[in-house]
Amino acid sequence: MKIVIVGAGEVGSHLAKLLSNESHDIYVIDKDESKLAALDNQNLITHVGRPTSFEVMRNVDISDCDLFIAVTPYETNNVLACSMAKSLGAKKTVARIDNYEFFKKENKDFFTQLGVDDLIYPEYLAAEEMMMALKHTWVRNWFEMFNGELIVVGVKLRSKAKLLGLKLRDTSNVSGFMHICAIKRKYETIIPRGDDIILENDIVYIATKDEYLDKVIDICGKRQSRIDKVMIMGGSRIAKRLVRLSDGKYEFKIIEIDKKRSHDLAYKLPECQIVNGDGRDNEILREEHLENYDAFVALTDSSETNILGCLTAKEYGVKKTIAEVENIQFISEAEGLNIGTIINKKLLASSKIFQTLIDNDQSNAKCLALADAEVTEMVVKEDSKVTKSLVKDLKLPREMTIAGLVRDGVGYLVQGNTELKPGDHVVVFSLSGSMHKLEKWFN
Amino acid sequence: MIGERKLSLNIAVVARIIGWLLIIESSFMVLPLITSLIYSEPVSIRAFAITIGITLLAGVAMTFGIRPKRNNMHTREGLLLTASVWVVFSLFGCLPYMLSGTLPRFVDAYFEMMSGFSTTGASVIRDVESVAKGILLWRSMSQWLGGMGIILFTLAVLPMLNHSGGVQLFNAEVTGLTHDKIRPRVSQTATSLWAVYCVLSLVLLAFMWAGPMEFFDALNHTMVITSTGGFSTKNASMAHWNSMYLNIVVTVFMLLSGLNFHLLYKFAVGDRMAIWKNDVFRWTVGLLVGVGVIVGINVVLQDTMDNKLMAFVCGLFQTISAATSTGLSAFDYEADGPFVSLMFVMVMLFGASAGSTAGGAKIDRLVLLVKNTSIQIYHLLHPNTVKVIRVNGRVVNDEVYAKCVAFLTCFFIMIAISTIVFTESGMPAFDAIFTAVSAVSNVGMGYGVTGLHGSFADMNDLCKVVFSFDMLAGRLELFTILILFTRGFWKKS
Repeated sequence: MKIVIVGAGEVGSHLAKLLSNESHDIYVIDKDESKLAALDNQNLITHVGRPTSFEVMRNVDISDCDLFIAVTPYETNNVLACSMAKSLGAKKTVARIDNYEFFKKENKDFFTQLGVDDLIYPEYLAAEEMMMALKHTWVRNWFEMFNGELIVVGVKLRSKAKLLGLKLRDTSNVSGFMHICAIKRKYETIIPRGDDIILENDIVYIATKDEYLDKVIDICGKRQSRIDKVMIMGGSRIAKRLVRLSDGKYEFKIIEIDKKRSHDLAYKLPECQIVNGDGRDNEILREEHLENYDAFVALTDSSETNILGCLTAKEYGVKKTIAEVENIQFISEAEGLNIGTIINKKLLASSKIFQTLIDNDQSNAKCLALADAEVTEMVVKEDSKVTKSLVKDLKLPREMTIAGLVRDGVGYLVQGNTELKPGDHVVVFSLSGSMHKLEKWFN
Repeated sequence: MIGERKLSLNIAVVARIIGWLLIIESSFMVLPLITSLIYSEPVSIRAFAITIGITLLAGVAMTFGIRPKRNNMHTREGLLLTASVWVVFSLFGCLPYMLSGTLPRFVDAYFEMMSGFSTTGASVIRDVESVAKGILLWRSMSQWLGGMGIILFTLAVLPMLNHSGGVQLFNAEVTGLTHDKIRPRVSQTATSLWAVYCVLSLVLLAFMWAGPMEFFDALNHTMVITSTGGFSTKNASMAHWNSMYLNIVVTVFMLLSGLNFHLLYKFAVGDRMAIWKNDVFRWTVGLLVGVGVIVGINVVLQDTMDNKLMAFVCGLFQTISAATSTGLSAFDYEADGPFVSLMFVMVMLFGASAGSTAGGAKIDRLVLLVKNTSIQIYHLLHPNTVKVIRVNGRVVNDEVYAKCVAFLTCFFIMIAISTIVFTESGMPAFDAIFTAVSAVSNVGMGYGVTGLHGSFADMNDLCKVVFSFDMLAGRLELFTILILFTRGFWKKS
């Protein structure tokens, strides 16, 4: 598939590398040559030029482009670029925006008329993700289909978990209500086989159903706790979006270091308390009674500050911590530490793009990108390879596994003896770089 | 991600890919084997059969016997792979020479093979006309494969290198200051370049076959001309035919093969303007043809040939042959005095365009140097003007310029050291300089003791080893090879 990405910033570069690894033809356009130089050793081609230039677009033969992604820092540029690309023949366009109004359903027609098919709003996705994390305090990741008919959760196992030390094949007593589809251990994610043993500090990805959640929580040695009061460090755009999205469900307090920004926040968010101060300062944290809070969310521009902030909050006895970590390299480290949930805008944006890619011929596909794996919802097609035999006889590649399926609105966990039928919605867990193989199996 | 940082050089992965490449090499050897069968040459049939067996066995053993723990390939693995592929390929490729008795000594056989893969064309075979046809075909094929690049071929046909590691291999093998991609995926770029190369070869084959050449000679010469290699199937090289038609056809195709293939591709797909906007193209054609005409006139004035027009064409031919690093010879240039030979040394130094099959320091670098010099001179008069170096319409940043200067430093140091070694073994000074430039620039012409009346075979073993090393380093534009001799490369980071 030919994909043109405009804007080689953090999100653009990440998407470019990711999609190139998925064997797509990638063109990256940016007006800053030095940003493109960083992509020189990647399997893609770069063009120097303004994002909104007809000449540049013709140079990359935009007319046979399947997907056009505009992720420059300026939403107006992105929207205009998409509109131009569409008129020059791009099949599908996606623009990054940072404006909630643009994102509203009732305004979608306007963008469709302009030629913008889809919008990515990383800040909104991040806020949504955090709402999920505040609701389900015991998980790292949460992915649900059909209102909880099927759920995939990522859980970090501590010493209290009842699964520790077990070989996967010996976990048959739990196979009725949960299915372990992947294990993240230190720096790698593995799709486990029968011989693999579950260890402490593993993050296991479990497919289950809404009604079994209590059992899963119990077996993982976790506790679901209720969140009322949330402290946010860093009054970024994501923080604002989170407060607005929660709609009064939680009581927020924001600590912001910049005076002007604090005033701005106070002006814009009347329902929440704003503190002007340094969130790294113990004095301030004590003054603001961090120990009385249920959750701590660190959203400053610095990943390091966020990680350390969350660790401090843990010391104060805060139950749930969420950190925004923008360096992908830091995610593994942060996951190894005691941090509840990690938010990364790049991963959220790539989730959305993957969704768009699969969406090309399927409606309502969902996708969740993790640091080195993806959880994807696929619809099984007529005559596809996966319908040919029982799951255990399929010889699926090592880097993917089927976590569960929803048939006629009812969720089922996938066992070796399950047989897939056309029309089933399945959740597939696949390691990064193997997304393109999904097509082969499910279409 | 973080885990990889502390790991050392991943030799297993490199060895495994080399195994794959050896399997490919063994399959290439089937062609000369078939040729030997057609011409019923029992000695070379045996030689190729044994070589194919050994190469295939080694390849299969390395591919399936080695299980790398990790599959990561980074810059260092890429450089090591590119460099070692050329060494290992020559190692197995030289077996037919030894087994068939053409060149029984390893040093000679290896020299001949490296001369082939690096498209130099310096030969230590004294009487090529007596050599079996199968061996001759393998000799020419080695140049054809080496011309575009072994790695590049692999990138085009095998999907396993089609990732960012493959891009690094591409950069390590393809010549030039910067590496432009034609199409987004490296496999597509490699395929396009090979397509240009194949089309060029086929057209040339048709032209030569239509002339006074037999098919076998035409085929062999096609392979050594489009690769700017220069191995001939005749002792007298192109002078054997002494044909005006052939000389002109070959001159044109040598010049074409000395142009950037990227540019030829663009031209072929309809971007006709791209060629004229390209500084390096204009400089290459202008410089080569310009010097060629001067040399041609000089040869006419020397009055060593009866046919004046033929003399002029031969002068032009020989200049283009030297500049594009082909090294075929059309006449006895040594008889025409020092001016002509010195002009050859001059054009050999900078060769032709980068991104072609030609050797030398490349006209691209010359353009950069000259443009920078003119700016510096301008600055003497107008110290406050701000000017940037612009090549092909694009600004060249300081980093690229610094890299170019570093390259030229290494380039001239290598020529100097090689010259010193050659003179030490008793070669006359000018012969030594000519030979050293010819080696590092992958030309393959000789002068005096190594020239038309002598032979590279007369050099002693030390000289042959140095010459072989020069050819390899010259083909991979020095850095890919020289980096292997630094301690930092092998040290655990």
